[in-house]
Amino acid sequence: MNWTLFSIGAEGWGDELLWGFALTMALAVAAYVVGTVIGLFAALALLSKSRILRSVSAAYGTVFRSVPELLILFLTYYGAALMIRSLFAPIGLDLRVSLDAFTAGVVALALVHGAYTAEVFRGAIISVPTGLREAARSLGMTPFVTFHRITFPVALRYAFPGLSNLWMVMIKNTPLVSAIGLADLIGQANTAGQNTKHYFAFFTAALIAYLLVSAISLWGQIRLERNLTRHLPRQGSWSP
Amino acid sequence: MIMDFETLLSTLPGFAEGLGWTLFLTVSVLFFGMIIALMIVPCRLSQNWLANGFGLTFVFVFRGAPLLVLLFLVYYGVPELPIVRDTFLWQAFQYPVFCAILALSLNSAGYLTEVIVGAVRAVPRGEIEAAHVAGLSRWAVIKGVIAPNAIRLGLRNYGNEMVFVVKATSVASLVTIQELMARASGVYYRTYDPITPLLVAGAIFLVLILALSRFMAFLEVRLSPELRRKAEKARSGAGRPAASLTAVDGPSLPQTPETGR
Repeated sequence: MNWTLFSIGAEGWGDELLWGFALTMALAVAAYVVGTVIGLFAALALLSKSRILRSVSAAYGTVFRSVPELLILFLTYYGAALMIRSLFAPIGLDLRVSLDAFTAGVVALALVHGAYTAEVFRGAIISVPTGLREAARSLGMTPFVTFHRITFPVALRYAFPGLSNLWMVMIKNTPLVSAIGLADLIGQANTAGQNTKHYFAFFTAALIAYLLVSAISLWGQIRLERNLTRHLPRQGSWSP
Repeated sequence: MIMDFETLLSTLPGFAEGLGWTLFLTVSVLFFGMIIALMIVPCRLSQNWLANGFGLTFVFVFRGAPLLVLLFLVYYGVPELPIVRDTFLWQAFQYPVFCAILALSLNSAGYLTEVIVGAVRAVPRGEIEAAHVAGLSRWAVIKGVIAPNAIRLGLRNYGNEMVFVVKATSVASLVTIQELMARASGVYYRTYDPITPLLVAGAIFLVLILALSRFMAFLEVRLSPELRRKAEKARSGAGRPAASLTAVDGPSLPQTPETGR
């Protein structure tokens, strides 16, 4: 094993790999935050009284959970600019937007993540006891206040296991962005492998990095879950 | 115009071939993934800490690793090793199809192991005890009591896993395999029209997966007497609202952390 391969500086690839890792994590966090917001609104649409909102949200969920992530990523990166332009052309607008690879990656991963998150939030909101909501309404809270003071905080607790699973999924989806030319961890490991012909060492290092992130996330998930449920009687593992 | 009809027509023969590759990959990965998983499941269920530790490590590694990393490791990395480079193994590892099926199967086996373990653990204890008391042999208990119950209980999660395998085969396009996704990119590079080929490929995936999940839902109802009765009741007593909502909700499995895909 040749450790100088991973040294930091001109002769090693350590700094490139670290930058790649930073980009991977930035992308994952950004896409996770954006996707969770999309998912919350999609869940509210799924539960709304309007038939149109319900079916739009259901169609969004079905499509983005069935089509491969890679395809959505390519469509966003290569096609979104063109699509936006041709959508606005008939009304006389000539919109020329361009998506750089990072934005395209965040948008694509967030859209996929949102489709799964919507299901998690929908289930969580349904699980909130109706009595809580009725009590809030009878105290004179408006529907909005009821949602953001009562329903949402309780639902968030129910949604926590699902949301943390989806964080793991997000981490595992990020390597796909190297296919649109982003220098994430895998992209950098690939470049390093091409230059040194030590693919095995670099990809193994990347694999270990991902496993470490998974392990740390799992540990954090268990700690946070204990914290979120400390008001409940403890009897082994808690499940909503 | 977003879709271009001429491009659409010219792509169809290539896409048919690509669909063939996608299906071939899916079926192979489901087959080999199941074989690998069936070897790991006994480890996960055993009382021996060594065997159980091995099972847990296998699941942690192949479920925690991103698919693309596994694929690149197998395709670019493993052939570098002397044991592969200088032996007959090279004969296998030189083919991208072999590497793709190996990486995808290992990844799928990680998830599948947990699906099967969850299903086996969800089999009611009383039924197993009753079978033991009735004097059935170990093998007869597995064959006659545990397996039929576990298959029924695990069917829904297995269906989800199948969907993920279909989606995951698209990654094989990154190691030169000419499946659907690669065909779509190929058309893009030739015609500079990114939208038409990708939408066509996406539509094919959508139809494939919707059909698959419909079929699995149908199978679940067929195999579970209590769901079948509920579905029949819902059909005969149309108008009663309660049944239709719950008709597909089977017994739910305990969720382990990080089941997610």
